[in-house]
Parts: sequence; C-alpha cells; structure tokens
Amino acid sequence: MKKVFGRIYILIIMMFLYLPILTLIVLSFNKAKSMSVWKGFSLKWYEELFSSRIMMGAIANTFSIAILAALIATIVGTLAVLGMAAMKQKTENVLMAFNNIPMLNADIVTGIALMLFFLMIGAPRGYCTILFSHATFCIPYVILSVKPRLNKHTDSLFEAALDLGASERYAFRKIVIPELKPGIMSGFLLSFTMSVDDFIITYFTRGAGINTISTLIYSQVKVGIRPSLFALSTIIFVVALVVLITVNLRQSRQEAAMAR
Amino acid sequence: MSELIRLESIVKAFDDTVVLNGINLSVAENEFVTLLGPSGCGKTTTLRIIGGFERPDEGRVFFDGKDITDLPANQRPINTVFQNYALFPHMNVGENIAFSMRVRNKSEAYIKDKIKYALKLVNLDGFENRRIDQLSGGQQQRIAMARAIVNEPRVLLLDEPLGALDLKLRQEMQYELVRLKKELGITFLYITHDQEEALTMSDKVVVMNEGYIQQEGTPEQIYDEPVNAFVADFIGDSNILSGQMVDEKLVRINGIDYPCIDGSEQGFPPGRPVDVVIRPEDIDILPYGEGLFNGTIISKLFIGVHYEMLVESEDGKIEWLLQNYDQHDVGEKIGMHVDPENIQIMHKPKSDAESAMELDL
Ligand SMILES: Nc1ncnc2c1ncn2[C@@H]1O[C@H](COP(=O)(O)OP(=O)(O)OP(=O)(O)O)[C@@H](O)[C@H]1O
Ligand SMILES: [Mg+2]
Repeated sequence: MKKVFGRIYILIIMMFLYLPILTLIVLSFNKAKSMSVWKGFSLKWYEELFSSRIMMGAIANTFSIAILAALIATIVGTLAVLGMAAMKQKTENVLMAFNNIPMLNADIVTGIALMLFFLMIGAPRGYCTILFSHATFCIPYVILSVKPRLNKHTDSLFEAALDLGASERYAFRKIVIPELKPGIMSGFLLSFTMSVDDFIITYFTRGAGINTISTLIYSQVKVGIRPSLFALSTIIFVVALVVLITVNLRQSRQEAAMAR
Repeated sequence: MSELIRLESIVKAFDDTVVLNGINLSVAENEFVTLLGPSGCGKTTTLRIIGGFERPDEGRVFFDGKDITDLPANQRPINTVFQNYALFPHMNVGENIAFSMRVRNKSEAYIKDKIKYALKLVNLDGFENRRIDQLSGGQQQRIAMARAIVNEPRVLLLDEPLGALDLKLRQEMQYELVRLKKELGITFLYITHDQEEALTMSDKVVVMNEGYIQQEGTPEQIYDEPVNAFVADFIGDSNILSGQMVDEKLVRINGIDYPCIDGSEQGFPPGRPVDVVIRPEDIDILPYGEGLFNGTIISKLFIGVHYEMLVESEDGKIEWLLQNYDQHDVGEKIGMHVDPENIQIMHKPKSDAESAMELDL
C-alpha cells in the first residue's frame, strides 16, 4: 500500500515538473499558431526560427556571452583564489565575506547598480557591457567552487613536489592545477548556465538593438509570442538534456572504472 | 662516521609562540636518528626546517659541511616521507614514483627500470598502474617510501610514517624500514611519538619536549640513564620519586636509605635534592622483611609475559610499580630490593623553562 502511494506521489511530482515542458514541445510542432488547438504536425516554426535573423542573433549573443563570461570569470576567480591563499587568514576571511555578498544580493539591485555605473562612466551599453556584467556576477561562484580545492592537502602536495626536486612552476602546473581542475570545471559550467539563464541583469545592462534569448522573449511577450519561440525553447531543453545525460554517463563510467 | 646534518641553535616561532628553542642536533652519515617527543613538541617543525619548507628565525642548518639554511627545498639532496604521505592523487603509482625522475628529464627506459627496482624494494612488484585510492594505508606508505628513494637522496626524512597504521602492520613495517635502510645505505631521520618504535629502530634517539632537546643518546642510554623526570616518564613506565642525597652514593627516599652508584663525582653531593627513577622490572621481590623496604600488593594485572603490580609502601605514602614473572596475590606483604646500579639519580629541574617541561608527577 505504502509502495503504491509512493509511486503515485512521484508520478504527481514528475507531472508537475515535466508536463509544462511536454506541452511546450508538443506545441512547437503544431501546425496552427493557436495554443489551444492541434492542427497536425509541422516543422514550420523551426524553419521560421532558423530563418529569423533577430532570433539567430539573440541565440548567438546568448551563447557567445555565456562562453566568454564564463571564461573570464573562471580565470579571474581562480587567480583570486590563488592570491587569497597567500594572504593572512583574517584578510582572507574578510575578502570571502565580501565575495559572498553579491551572491545574496537580489539580481535587480545588481542590475540597476551596474546600469548606473555604466551610465556614470559613460560606457555605451551593448554587447560589452552585458559581457562585463555577466563575468562580474559569475566570479563569486567560481571562487566559491575553486576555493575548497585549495587547502592544506594541496599545500602538502605542492611541498611534496618541491621535495622531489620540482621547480615551483612545474609543481604548480603538474600538481596544483590538476588538483583544482574539478573546481575550475564546475565553476565554469556554473557560470555558463547562470549567464544563459540571466534575464534581469542583462535587461538593465544591454543597449537598444541587442538581445539575448531571454530579453527577446520578454519583448515578444508584449506583442504576442510566436510558436517559433517554443521551437527555440525545445531545442535548448533537448541540448541541456543531452549534456546532462552525457555528463552523468561519463561520471558513472568513471566511478565504475574506479571501483575496478 | 662523518657528520652529515648539523642544526645550530635553531629558533623558530609562529606568531609569537616559540616552537623551537635553540635546537642543536648532529646527524652522522648512515645513522638512524629518531626525534621522539609528545604531540606538538616541534618534531615536524624541525624536520621541515631540514627539508627546506620552513625558515628558522635564528640558527643555521648545515649539510655535509655546507650552510644550506637559504637553499630552497627543491635543491636539497634530501627527500621526505610526509606524515600524510602526500601521494599525488591524480597520478597512478608508477607516475608518482617517476615524478622526481621526470623533473630531472631522465630517459623513459631509465625511469621504467627505476620504478621496477623501487617497487621491488618495497615489496609491491607489479603495482605500477594502480590508482592511489586503490591502495591500503600500508601500501600507500610503501609507495611514499619508493617515491622518496628513487632519486637516491643522502638523507631520508620520515615524519611518523607508521602513525596511521594499525599495531600489527606497524611492527611489520618497523622491520621493513630497518631492512630498507640497510639495503639503501642512507641516513634516516625519523620522527615518532611512540617510544617503543624509537627504541627498537634507532641508532640514536633525541627526546624533545616543548621545543627543547631533553636528551640524546643510544636507546640504551635513554632508557637506562634518563637525565630528567620528563625523559624517564616518557620512555616507558617507571617509578619517579623525589629524594635527597644523604651521603656519598646513598639516597633517601621517603625515609628509607638506598645505596646507589652516584655521588659528588657525578654532581650529586650529600644534601642535594634529586629525582630518582627506578624501572618496574628492576625491583626484586623478596620475602617480607628481607629486602630494603616493604609493602603490600594492592593490585595485580597479567599483561602477557609478566605481571604488573602496584605495591603500597608501609606508611601508605608511595605506590611502587613492579613487573615480575612470578605471581603474587593482592594483599600479600612483600619485601623489595633494588640493586644500586638500577637506581638512576637525576637533577631536579632548575630553570623556569625546565620546570615548565616537567610533567605533573
Ligand atoms: N604553520 C604554523 N603556524 C602556526 N603554528 C604552527 C605551525 N606549524 C606548527 N605550529 C605549532 O607549532 C607547534 C609544534 O608543531 P609541530 O608540528 O612541529 O609538532 P609535532 O611535534 O610534529 O607534533 P605531532 O606529533 O602532533 O605531529 C605546535 O604547537 C603547532 O601548533
Ligand atoms: Mg608532526
């Protein structure tokens, strides 16, 4: 009896989570523009998506900004972690407190603050200001995911490498970096997802005439959403799904290899 | 034997806490020297100064006659087996052992041979491709050894290498280490807080406490002639008592006079208050009234080969710890005797620093 209830419970949760997405996917293949009637299967919204320069531009912006911002944030964040490790414990604690504040801060505050900042220094708002903002709000997350990898253990590995005759540079490259790598990778992925996900900060820091996927959708809501956006959302969902599955598969394969 | 390492009045403090208080130490070529002391006494710090990971605030480090105080760790002909092994987790066993050779750009053929040789030496043939996290604690310890010796250092520093192992494995590894040292013919500077380990393996034991060297000498010297109450207490169970010299080679403890072999010549003139150490196995049991002093057995414990007994003196002021192969019953009144040469007379701590080091006795 308990088992049955458990199953039903899980089913309900799954429905809440995935039914909306399923609806979206189905509608993206609907011949009709209406959201309430099904008039048969069609790929025309996908065609519209791929032939729309505005949409393709927004997609390109979203992903190029995400990759660049994640790259910048990862580099800056990792260097910051290395720098902090050389500081006194007290200074480090203060810096970490400052690092945590932006993450707790509401996006809207960050967004408006950045916009005012750009206005003040007279920076023309556009691609570069979005990129700068995204890199900025990603750095704390990179620091948070890399920092735990740099600890006493890493120190002693570094010393062991020196003990065996390695130069500091060699020991850093061959021992410290591989130790940090999982943190660096997850910092990069986290930054990438957050950049793709972001709407509010992008909205306040972009200029006229430049759109990312989220701001484009927002502007279309006002004039009425076209099903080609369903097509876009479907593609994004499928891509995310594939990435997730491959990562998981690789992980479980690695774990299996480890167990051997 | 020629001197290989010398520490000259090394002082080291971490944020105002003085950890090493003027350490002088000499290690001869091919010697097995052990630093022995309780946790936090500065053993690791001493080793790190020799390895080049810590700079002394004062004092100098010499290696083979040359001052290496300012030489960075990676240029010292010294290798270390770290307290936590510090094996590189993302490399397999072979790559770990190869590390110091890759650093030196040795040929792959040479490296391969050396890995084989090193693994054979530590009894782990065929482990080249194992991952580090697939190794047991004892195996990791051996790999750390193998990694440290392939580069043929003149000295191997070992920081409690057996600390993380269980008792049986630890005893096995003690033999292994002594064998390894013989085969390699290099100098070992070893850290432990286990007195038994120190006494069984070393040529020389250096007892440390709170940043001071208390005593150094052969295991026999340390055990039989501890210079103060701290060393006596740290090295095995003993009876440590307060006494006073009453005559040449006669010491009074709790109202009873015991003949001993120390007098003015050894710096213990009549009248001088002293500490006395008597090892539990050196107290012989005689029938009541026939010994130097009497007592009543108040507890008895069989600990393997022999019995350990607590004996209360007749006035109830002193409890003696005895070890004896014969069985006696609790409540039995016995006489006891100690040969003069088994009574070790020691100076009472004098300076503040020394009295700070004294255990609560
Ligand atoms: N980097 C450091 N910063 C501050 N204090 C330190 C540092 N390293 C060691 N100490 C202190 O110095 C003292 C001696 O430490 P050390 O590691 O030499 O002890 P140890 O004899 O090796 O002890 P154990 O047997 O526990 O390993 C300790 O009180 C320790 O807290
Ligand atoms: Mg230590």
